[in-house]
Amino acid sequence: MRAVPLPRFLSSVELAYLNVVNHLLAFPIIPVMVAVLLQVLELGPDELIAHWSSLGIDTIHALCTIFTVVVVATAYFMSRPRPVYLVDHACFRPPRTFRVPFATFFEHASLVPFFDEKSVRFQVRILESSGLGEETCLPLANRYIPPCPSMEAACAEARLVIFSAIDELIAKTDLKPRDVDILVVNCSLFSPTPSLSAMIVNKYKMRSNIMSFNLSGMGCSAGLISIDLARSLLQAHPNSYALVVSTEIITPNFYAGNERSMLLPNCLFRMGAAAVLLSNSRREEDRAKYRLLHVVRTHEGADDRAYRCVYEEEDGEGNSGINLSKEMMTVAGEALRANITAVGPLVLPVTEQLRFLASLVARRLLGARGGKPYIPDFKRAFDHLCIHAGGRAVIDELQRSLGLPAALVEASRMTLHRFGNTSSSSLWYELAYIEAKSRMRRGDRVWMIGFGSGFKCNSAVWRCLRAPKAPVDGPWSDCIHRYPVHVPEMVKLL
Amino acid sequence: MHTVLSVDAMDLLWMIATVLFLYSSLSFLWKAFDCRRNQNCYLFDYVCYKPSDDRKLSTELCSDVIKRNKRLSMPDYKFLLKVVVNSGISEETYGPRSIIEGREESPTLDDCDDEVDDCMYSTLDELFHRTGISPGDVDVLVVNISMFAPAPSLTSRIVNRYKMREDVKTFNLSGMGSSASPIAIDLVNNVFETRKRTLAVVITSESIAPNWYCGTDKSMMLGNCLFRSGGCSFMLTNDPSLKHRAKMRLKCLVRAHSGANDDAYSCAMQNEDTDGRVGFHLSKSLPKVAVRAFTENLQALAPKVLPVGELALYVIRGLRHRLRRSKETKAYAGTAVRVNFKSGVEHFCLHTGGAAVIDAVGSALGLNKYDVEPARMTLHRWGNTSASSLWYVLGYMEAKKRLRRKDRVLMLSFGAGFKCNSCLWEVLRDLEDGGAWEDCIQAYPPQSLVNPFMDKFGWVNEA
Repeated sequence: MRAVPLPRFLSSVELAYLNVVNHLLAFPIIPVMVAVLLQVLELGPDELIAHWSSLGIDTIHALCTIFTVVVVATAYFMSRPRPVYLVDHACFRPPRTFRVPFATFFEHASLVPFFDEKSVRFQVRILESSGLGEETCLPLANRYIPPCPSMEAACAEARLVIFSAIDELIAKTDLKPRDVDILVVNCSLFSPTPSLSAMIVNKYKMRSNIMSFNLSGMGCSAGLISIDLARSLLQAHPNSYALVVSTEIITPNFYAGNERSMLLPNCLFRMGAAAVLLSNSRREEDRAKYRLLHVVRTHEGADDRAYRCVYEEEDGEGNSGINLSKEMMTVAGEALRANITAVGPLVLPVTEQLRFLASLVARRLLGARGGKPYIPDFKRAFDHLCIHAGGRAVIDELQRSLGLPAALVEASRMTLHRFGNTSSSSLWYELAYIEAKSRMRRGDRVWMIGFGSGFKCNSAVWRCLRAPKAPVDGPWSDCIHRYPVHVPEMVKLL
Repeated sequence: MHTVLSVDAMDLLWMIATVLFLYSSLSFLWKAFDCRRNQNCYLFDYVCYKPSDDRKLSTELCSDVIKRNKRLSMPDYKFLLKVVVNSGISEETYGPRSIIEGREESPTLDDCDDEVDDCMYSTLDELFHRTGISPGDVDVLVVNISMFAPAPSLTSRIVNRYKMREDVKTFNLSGMGSSASPIAIDLVNNVFETRKRTLAVVITSESIAPNWYCGTDKSMMLGNCLFRSGGCSFMLTNDPSLKHRAKMRLKCLVRAHSGANDDAYSCAMQNEDTDGRVGFHLSKSLPKVAVRAFTENLQALAPKVLPVGELALYVIRGLRHRLRRSKETKAYAGTAVRVNFKSGVEHFCLHTGGAAVIDAVGSALGLNKYDVEPARMTLHRWGNTSASSLWYVLGYMEAKKRLRRKDRVLMLSFGAGFKCNSCLWEVLRDLEDGGAWEDCIQAYPPQSLVNPFMDKFGWVNEA
C-alpha cells in the first residue's frame, strides 16, 4: 500500500537527502574520470597504442561499447521531461470608456437602490485605501443604474476581454488557431454551458481533436493551475502548442446587498484577461521568451478556517456574493509559508536551504526555543517577483513576511493601481510591467505567486530566455512612462 | 617501479570507471523502463449515486411541477407531458429536493450545495470504504459538474470535507456538458504520464436545482423534462501494484470537438429567453450536429479500436461501393458503408441522452437489442443523468454479469459544445458487483417499457 504522507518538514529533509543521493554518483565519478584523464595524458602516444592493443579489444567489442553508449545516451535524453516554453503572452487592454474613477464609483453606489448609506460610505472607504487608481475598469453592465447582470451581458464581456487578448497574442506570435493542440481556460465566477473554451474553439475555428479544458470556481490562483495542467498535457504530447486563457468575468458578480464582508469584491475586482502561448516544440526555443522551471501547488482546504475565508454565499436577503473573512491575511501568510517550504528546495542556493532546514529542525525539536523561523533570502533565488495583486493588504503582508525590498513588489503594486484586482490574469499584467520597464534580462528568474479561494497558494518559476526589445507593446504601452507612481495610504474622496 | 605501480593504479581506475559507468547506464535504462510501466490508466473502482427514495419523481409529480408554472398555456402543458410520457423514463428516477418541495423557481445556494454534497459525499464515502484507500492518499482530484461552479470550487469542498493533503492536485471542470466524463479521464490520463504511482479520484455529476427553467420557450423546457439526478465517483490509478485489484484498463480515448461549426456550437446552449429567463436551449438541428460529431469521432476511433482485418474489409467494401455507385447511381446513392464495431468491442456504454439518441447511435453502429439494452434500461431506471450516465450503463452490465476478463467496453457520449467523446476499456477480471443496480437488477429488462401513466395521460398523444 501507499506510504503515509510525511509531514512538511520531514519531506523537505527527504528532498534534500534525495538530492544528495541522486548526485552521489556524480561525486566519485568526476574525480575518477579526471584522474584517468591525467594518467592518459601522462603516457606518450606509443605507450597508449601499446596499452590499447594489450587490452585485447577487437572491432566487435569496440562496436558493442559504442552501441551501448549510444543506446544509454538516447534513453537518458528521451527520459528527460520536455521543456515547456512560454512563446509570448498578451493581456486585455480595457478601452477608456470602461474606466471607473473613484467619483464615478461613488456616484454609482449612491444612485443604485439597494445600498444603504452606510454601505456606500463603507465601499468608498475601502476604495480610498485599496491601492487602486483612477483608471481601473468595470464592464458596462455593472455601470447601469441598477446593474443588469444578464447572461447575455456576461457573455458579451467574456467575448470582449478574451477575444481581445487572444487576437493580440495571435498578432504577436503569428499563431494559427488550427495549430493549437491544447486549450485551457480558467474563469472562476462565470461558467456557461457550452464552456468558454467551446466559445473560443467556435470563434477561432480550432481543430476538432483539440484537447480543451475549462476550469471554474478555482479562484484567483487558477491561472497557475491552468499553467500546471497545460504543462502536464505538454509533457504527454510532443511538438504541441497550448493556449492558456485566464480571466475573471465581473458582470454576474455584482453584490447587491449590504453585508460588509461581501462588499469588498465590488470595490476590488476589475476587468482583465490574459492569453499565454506555451509550447514544447524545439523550434520555439529560438523565439520563446521564458522557460517554465517549476510549478508548485499548495491547497490548505483541509483547514476549515482556510476553506471558509473566501466563500460564496447568500446574505440574509438572498443576495449572493463572495464573503472575504477577516482572517484572510493570516490564512494567506500560512498558505504562503507552506508553499515556499515546497518551492525552497527547488530554487534556493544550497546554503540558504541548509539554513532553512536547520531552522525548521531546531523549531521542531526545541519548539519556540529553537529561535525565530528563518526566512530564506529569496532575493538570491529570484530577480523578479509577481505577486497576485489581490489588494494592498496582501502585498503589504507578503512584503513584510518575506522581507522583500520595495523594488521587488513594485510590479504588483503598480498593477493593482492601474488595473485593479483582475484575479487570475493579474500575474500576467505584472510580468508585462516588468517587461515594459525593460528590467527583464536574459537568464533572470521570475517567481509568480497566486492566492485564491480554497485556500490555495500556487507558485510558478520561469527563466527568461530572451529579453523583450523596447519599446514593449502591451497593456502598459500608453502609460508606462507615468509609472512607478507613489500610491498613498489613503486617497481622500469624501 | 614507478611504471609498474602506475599501470596497476591505471587498471584499478579503469575498473572503477567501468563499474560506475555500467551502474549509471543501468539506472538510466531502469528509469526509462519504469517510466513506460507507469503509462497505464487503470479504473480501480466506481460508485454510482443512488439518491434516497423520497426523491423519486413520478410522472404524476412531474405533472404537478409543470402545472405550478402558471405562465404555461394548455398546449405547452400537453407538449411537456407528452415528452415525459414518451421519454422512456420510468417512475423510479430521482429529482432534486428543491424541485420536489416546490422551490424550483427560487432555489437557494444552500439547496444547490445540498444537492451536490449529497451526491459527492455519499459516493465518495462508499468509494473510499470499498477500495480501502484513505482520502489522504489521493494525489489528483477532478470534479466535473457542468452547471454549478461556486467559489470555493467543489474540489475545495471535497478537500475540506475529507482533509486531503496540501499537495493534492485539484481540477474543477465546468461547462463541459454531458460528455465530460471522457474529458475528465483524459485529464487524469495526461497527468499520469508525468507522475508515477498516482491515485486520482474523479466525481462526475450534474446540478439540476439551480437550472430549472421557469419560462415558456419550448426548446428550453425539454431539459426540465429529461434531466434527472445522478452521479458517479470513480478512482483511477497508474500504479502497477494495484493492477490486480483494478476493474478495467484504459486502451484509448478520442475526443471530437465540432465547436468550430456555428450550428454545432449553438445547438445545445445555455442562454436567456425573450423574457430574460435563463434556460438550456436544445435546437432542432441537434440530431444533425450529433451525427456529424459522432462520425468524426468514429473516424478517429475506428483505426484504434478495430482489428486490422475489419479495417481491411472496410477499405475493400468502400472501394466496391464506390465502383458500384459510379455505375448505378440511383440504387446506391443513399447507402453508406458500414463498419462492424462489434468486431473490436464487446460492450457499448451509450450516453442516455434520450430514447431516440440511443436508437440512432445503436443503428449507426449496427447494434442489436441486446447491445443497446444497458443504455435503454439505464434511461428507464435513472433518466438522463448527463455526464454520469455512462457509469450507470456500465453498472448495469456489471450487475448482469456481462463483463468478463478481456472484454472490451466502449464508452460513447455527446455533449454541449458540440462534442462527441469516446473511450475504450479492457476488462481485467470477471466483474460481479451489483452497485447501484443491486436491488432492482432482477426486475430488468421489464416486460414493457411503456409508461404506466399512459392510461391517465395517454390523451396527450392523441391531439
